[in-house]
Amino acid sequence: MKLVVGPFNRVEGDLEVTLEAEDGVVTEARVNAPLYRGFEVMLQGRDPRDALVITPRICGICSISQSAAAASALGAAMGLAPTPAGADMAALIHAAENAADHLTHFHLFFMPDFARPDYAGRPWHGRVVERFTAMEGSAQRQAITARAELLHVMGLLAGKWPHTLAIQPGGVTKAPGAREKARLTATLRAFRRYLEGVLFGGPLEEFIGLSDVPSLMSWGRGDVGLFLTLAADLGLMDLGRGSGRYLSFGAYRRERGPFFASGLWEGGAQVFDPGAIVEDLSHSWMEGEAAHPYDGRTEPDPQMASGYSWCKAPRLGGRPVEVGALARMVVDGHALGLEMAGGGVLARVAGRLLELARTQVLMEELVAGIVPGAEYMARGGMPSEGRGAGLVEAARGALGHWIRIEKGRIAGYQIIAPTTWNFSPRDAGGVPGPLEAALVGAKPGVEVQHVVRSFDPCMVCTVH
Amino acid sequence: MSLVESQIETFYEVMRKQGITRRSFMKYCSLTASALGLGPSFVPQIAHAMETKPRTPVIWVNGLECTCCSESFIRGAHPLAKDVVLSMISLDYSHTLMASAGHHAEAALEETIEKYKGNYILAVEGNPPLNEDGMFCIVGGKPFVEQLKRVAKDAKAVIAWGACASYGCVQAAAPNPTQATPVHKVITDKPIIKVPGCPPIAEVMTGVITYMLTFDRLPELDRQGRPAMFYGQRIHDKCYRRPHFDAGQFVEHWDDENARKGYCLYKMGCKGPTTYNACSTVRWNEGTSFPIQSGHGCIGCSEDGFWDQGSFYDRLTNIKQFGIEANADQVGMAAAGVVGGAVAVHAAVSALKRAQKKNEKVEG
Repeated sequence: MKLVVGPFNRVEGDLEVTLEAEDGVVTEARVNAPLYRGFEVMLQGRDPRDALVITPRICGICSISQSAAAASALGAAMGLAPTPAGADMAALIHAAENAADHLTHFHLFFMPDFARPDYAGRPWHGRVVERFTAMEGSAQRQAITARAELLHVMGLLAGKWPHTLAIQPGGVTKAPGAREKARLTATLRAFRRYLEGVLFGGPLEEFIGLSDVPSLMSWGRGDVGLFLTLAADLGLMDLGRGSGRYLSFGAYRRERGPFFASGLWEGGAQVFDPGAIVEDLSHSWMEGEAAHPYDGRTEPDPQMASGYSWCKAPRLGGRPVEVGALARMVVDGHALGLEMAGGGVLARVAGRLLELARTQVLMEELVAGIVPGAEYMARGGMPSEGRGAGLVEAARGALGHWIRIEKGRIAGYQIIAPTTWNFSPRDAGGVPGPLEAALVGAKPGVEVQHVVRSFDPCMVCTVH
Repeated sequence: MSLVESQIETFYEVMRKQGITRRSFMKYCSLTASALGLGPSFVPQIAHAMETKPRTPVIWVNGLECTCCSESFIRGAHPLAKDVVLSMISLDYSHTLMASAGHHAEAALEETIEKYKGNYILAVEGNPPLNEDGMFCIVGGKPFVEQLKRVAKDAKAVIAWGACASYGCVQAAAPNPTQATPVHKVITDKPIIKVPGCPPIAEVMTGVITYMLTFDRLPELDRQGRPAMFYGQRIHDKCYRRPHFDAGQFVEHWDDENARKGYCLYKMGCKGPTTYNACSTVRWNEGTSFPIQSGHGCIGCSEDGFWDQGSFYDRLTNIKQFGIEANADQVGMAAAGVVGGAVAVHAAVSALKRAQKKNEKVEG
């Protein structure tokens, strides 16, 4: 039996999934990203600095991640590193966006599916309906308000959001003063109050201190507790299990290194070589050979018979990897993250919640460290020839920009977004992408929705 | 007008159903009045209109875009105003936020079109790509341009949210690989209100939609089709760094002393002098700031063609300085070459006056 699921609502962008099912379970899945805009093509021939304006517009939800990756790629090409204070402010802006994204995913995109009539009669259903019905739930209103207030961080440091311009290769254009520091402190205090009072229902440090799945499952407080209750009831740890192979580029690069470690993990830490990244085009509507992003091209060919998606298939050392908050928590070596490695829907969502709590602590540290009058920007010149990679972590996982500059202009620009990894089509060896693999064994219907949403797809980033 | 005859319930009825109290309703009316620049004397008129007029249904569709407009919108001005407007929209169809998925969603769209034929407002986020028969943006197995045409056919008016729907935006940047095309080039037989910006300011979005819902008419538009009340002035006209421009004090490098002093960003490529928008007055993220306040120039994202005017970091030429400019129209046209129907500087003030005059005629 063949099923086409889509369009999906409540995801960022457009998505279609084709399923083969037998005896009521999915045996094969093909993911199609039906939207293509051609950013990589438009960037060619432009002033390299324009990437700072154009690439954030790939996505209105993770625009700062795109901005940070572009700044970092340009910085690498220029041989310029941001000042330590500038790097910290860029990290703060970026962390606020990622935290806002996690909040949006949980409340607006993921939880409303459990308010469906499919689950009427479950002991937790009434509570979920009250808290999470799409656009009406009481939790959603609280989350949207808390999120808007958190995003004052963007106003104060980045001018506007979405599509901020403040992050530059040398740091940030806004030098915060004592007034900003005071307002940021108050903003973060209010956000912590919301997280502890409503979402987690308890101290963040206590949640961060959880080290195994049983103690996680007995958390029992706040909307997080409600989620864990239904997750236990529905067996969400085993629904849509991952391959257990995780990649993180390292999040929030500060002077002494990223706050969440970078690396590859499979049963333990592995060597990560960015040179081993290749984009395979065998099942994409794209012409050309598999290539490292420095050499990659983007030439759409909708006629290509073997293609079924605009998405390319990135592989690391020839194999797919899962990226995202769970991957970051695993690669960073957090005890609970490691315990959940290889897990399904529950692990991805809990990984996100764990990271949200840890991100709040990071943001507080960054604000406390603001020194008015410090150097927030370093000066550098754009070379007429050069190349550079910007590897950062968006809310949804590893995001890379690779730029080649020739004669002072962009000669090549390739982007691999988190959902490009997670929702990649098959490669030349027929190996499915992480979502395609995770869907096998799920029941068509609401289960498929849970698995798809557990990755928090961002389809506009995926293809760009 | 009698309530009984109307098939569609009134705004007030909807709001009451959503659990909004009479008190909050009145507060909403006064917020609306102030958002539109109207005095307290208009509050009863707005309230009366909302109590007696059938509500205006809204269908919100997404084409080739990045969802930044929705993002901006859901953080709208006042929480109450946002709640109210959002609950109005949710009743009908919104791709990003609604509960149902897949074919249910498609069915909901058809049903909404049938039910409110000729009466609904179509809000478009993003635009249709026309290359390869629309293959680059597929919704429900069909090119988005088909959905757009189908929904527009029975719409009363169309709102083009953001630079994508209004002008094309960066996805239409040369060589425009997908032939991303603004809405007015595809829909030619309906009134279109352009609300440009990448994204538009939340308060501007709620302001425009509230005006249309409340008064059941289009706001006054400038020659480019933008609501004059929000796009009547240049960023430059109300920029808090303007005195530094006039005094000839400019930032030369991101990290120089002048940057620290908050001097004018014109030499860093700021497009404030040729950009019509409300950023320097309404500001962003609940009024906290706007790009120039973060030390980066304006890129002119609410102007047609802003993505293909040379580097974003090149400075504008032909801008006169030190207060000798005679006419904002000339500046706009000379420098950007795209602000053909530029609006006079006083437009915001006069728009406000005109709006007040018009509103005196509002009947229940």
